[in-house]
Amino acid sequence: MLSRIADSLFWIGRYMERADNTARILDVNYHMLLEQPPDTYKLRWDPLIAITGERTRFHERYEEANAQTAFEFLGFSEENPNSISQCIVSARENARTIRDRISRELWEDINGLYHKLSKMRSEDESLTRFCDAVKRGGHRFHGVCDATLTRDEGWHFLQTGMALERAEMTARILDVHFHRLLEGPQILNQARSHAWVAVLKSVAAYEFYKRQYTQIEPMRVSELLLLDARHPRSVRFNLGALQNSLHAVSGSIPGTYANEAERLTGRVFERLTYDNIEEIFNSGLHNFLTELQSTCRNIGEQITRTYFYYAVVA
Amino acid sequence: MSSASLAQASGRYLFTGYDPGPFYDEMVGPNGEPRPWAAAMFEKLAAMPLEVFEERRKLADLSYLVQGITFTVYSDGRGTERLFPFDLVPRIIPRSEWDVIERGLAQRVKALNLYLQDVYGSQRILKDRIIPRSLVYSCKHFRREMAGLRVPRDIYVHIAGIDLVRDSATGQYLVLEDNARSPSGISYVLENRLVMRRTFPRAFETCEVLPVDHYPAALVQILRSLSPRAGDRQVVVLLTPGLYNSAYFEHSFLAQEMGIELVEGRDLVVVDDVVYMKTIHGLTRVDVIYRRIDDDFLDPLAFRSDSLVGVPGLMNAYRAGNIALANAVGTGVSDDKAIYAYVPEFIRYYLGEEPVLRNVETWLCSNPAHLSYVLDRLPELVVKAVGESGGYGMLIGPSASRQEIEAFRDRLKADPRNYIAQPVIPLSRCPSFDTASGCMSPRHVDLRPYCLYDGDNVTIVPGGLTRVALKRGSLVVNSSQGGGSKDTWVLRGDE
Repeated sequence: MLSRIADSLFWIGRYMERADNTARILDVNYHMLLEQPPDTYKLRWDPLIAITGERTRFHERYEEANAQTAFEFLGFSEENPNSISQCIVSARENARTIRDRISRELWEDINGLYHKLSKMRSEDESLTRFCDAVKRGGHRFHGVCDATLTRDEGWHFLQTGMALERAEMTARILDVHFHRLLEGPQILNQARSHAWVAVLKSVAAYEFYKRQYTQIEPMRVSELLLLDARHPRSVRFNLGALQNSLHAVSGSIPGTYANEAERLTGRVFERLTYDNIEEIFNSGLHNFLTELQSTCRNIGEQITRTYFYYAVVA
Repeated sequence: MSSASLAQASGRYLFTGYDPGPFYDEMVGPNGEPRPWAAAMFEKLAAMPLEVFEERRKLADLSYLVQGITFTVYSDGRGTERLFPFDLVPRIIPRSEWDVIERGLAQRVKALNLYLQDVYGSQRILKDRIIPRSLVYSCKHFRREMAGLRVPRDIYVHIAGIDLVRDSATGQYLVLEDNARSPSGISYVLENRLVMRRTFPRAFETCEVLPVDHYPAALVQILRSLSPRAGDRQVVVLLTPGLYNSAYFEHSFLAQEMGIELVEGRDLVVVDDVVYMKTIHGLTRVDVIYRRIDDDFLDPLAFRSDSLVGVPGLMNAYRAGNIALANAVGTGVSDDKAIYAYVPEFIRYYLGEEPVLRNVETWLCSNPAHLSYVLDRLPELVVKAVGESGGYGMLIGPSASRQEIEAFRDRLKADPRNYIAQPVIPLSRCPSFDTASGCMSPRHVDLRPYCLYDGDNVTIVPGGLTRVALKRGSLVVNSSQGGGSKDTWVLRGDE
């Protein structure tokens, strides 16, 4: 498989996942705030911008983070390369470049989503309906991929992009919320557990959490989001998927590694498998999450260097 | 009462008040009756209520949009995607007419190949003074680098798109121009047929339309046969300038249909005169490149050094015989618009045959006598720059303003070699749906069949791309100038 095609598939996976995650946090936050006093607005919308890593860009353009500016900026701003519509634009661009290598169904699906969102935007649709369309689009995307793509190397690069993006995003959501909920100014207890519910809902883990645990506790929420072996949005789950796909491409056997990306993935996966949440909390969650995010970025770079842009010696 | 006249009575049908006018109409005869071979489809359309037709038209448009078959217009600075307008009324060609076209095209393509082989080889035709040496050497696309270079199986033009028009005055087809570099549009032929089959499935049951979908298979077979390496594991790729090229959809479509890799210049690398592509597991050798990049941009070391889409060292690999290119480098010396005037002579010279299809009468401005004739009659003539395509660098005398004509006069005098002139051909027309008036209106059409040459035989998928000037009265069919396309049906018989 051409390096450029693998690169495009990797980024289609990342962009689609990024759009989906952004829609989730946007939607959940909006609904949570509908029941909150309006004077906490700034507090409540700021972290969202932080999660997407676009704080500077946002404050260059807007004075205040509120439902409207956050929706505009994260939803469809052309000046924010990570806004939902821009992610879809980028995913579509990549898909268009390699449309001969993906199924017709997949191309038509991504292209259809693009046209649908453009139309919704021009018709001034509400945040909820917009996010809903994106989330449905994400589900369809996974379904169409699953039902129509050949399980070749390209498939594994797509999986790699999705898993890496999801792992990093979950870690970031947890990190930002922890800051605001534990170390931020005093918030009512009730509001606090409300916020954790929002976090769980944003990663579609609320129902699962309730079945596992009795009360909303930050440590248990963290446990689920970081270490759970079964929930498809936990960091561990995704790093496991990442590891499988990397090994499928290189052919190296489990327990060994063929390149730096595999080594880093294997190492962090082991930690998430054998560390427990108490240990992680004792040594400092924030540090752990910071390191986790930087490892994810590193893995991305190593994948790029190994497979997409390597030097050719003439 | 025929269904057509029934339709007229109700007043809400497509052909109400349709007037073929003074031009040859591809579907309706001068008496208002459909031509025998088009009668079945005409009756079907004539009996169709406007609403039903509108509904199908929307479905067809939607299908192009969903598939992303769009081209990009950069006039608004942002790059807006537009649909290439598709008109649902097919252009129908009876078999006996097609047989003549097919013979004429096969003859022409063979002659073009022999000419190229000769010009870059022993140059018999120049020595025999059939065509002036200076005219050949002054072609913008003449490639000195190709002199004496043997190309695989002596084929230069593997794919040619030859533009035909039907002259209303005589009813005969004429060759308007040859495209022997990298003609585009075949993907529309295939997609248009797909959409037509979905939109009018029943029509295909009654009309026996010859299929076109074997094109990619025929092309890839030729490409494989060019490989310098024996065996059956040759690697054939399609080289595209990339996503922002207006024909990118076609490149991607053809690569997929042929099951070959679609590559950009940056995917390829030349090491020791061998071409490789960069894959996730290292370098893989490439044998044949179907390139959709102009000569100028192919190799920054050999041609334009500012090319970012080419492959450095490719010409060396070509010269070393390690890679085959389709079409060959330098074919532009056969489709230059001044050379065009000599193609009938090529046919006589190389094949000893009379041309089956005639050329449009052409004045070469490089010839002083022709130039003065042309300068005297600019308002009546069409003037074209010889090395351009896509409807650029053109003057259509009868519809040009005084200033435009005078500007062209100056250009002609300054650089006569660069221009040719032709009479305005009254192109035939075909009923086309006019969105403004909501009914059928005659519009001018041309026809570009796609010819594949394997060194022995010329394969032509029946029909080709019918382009239609959707603007009332317009003679320009190019998509950049408001043109659209139609499905072209060649029938198994004459009715």
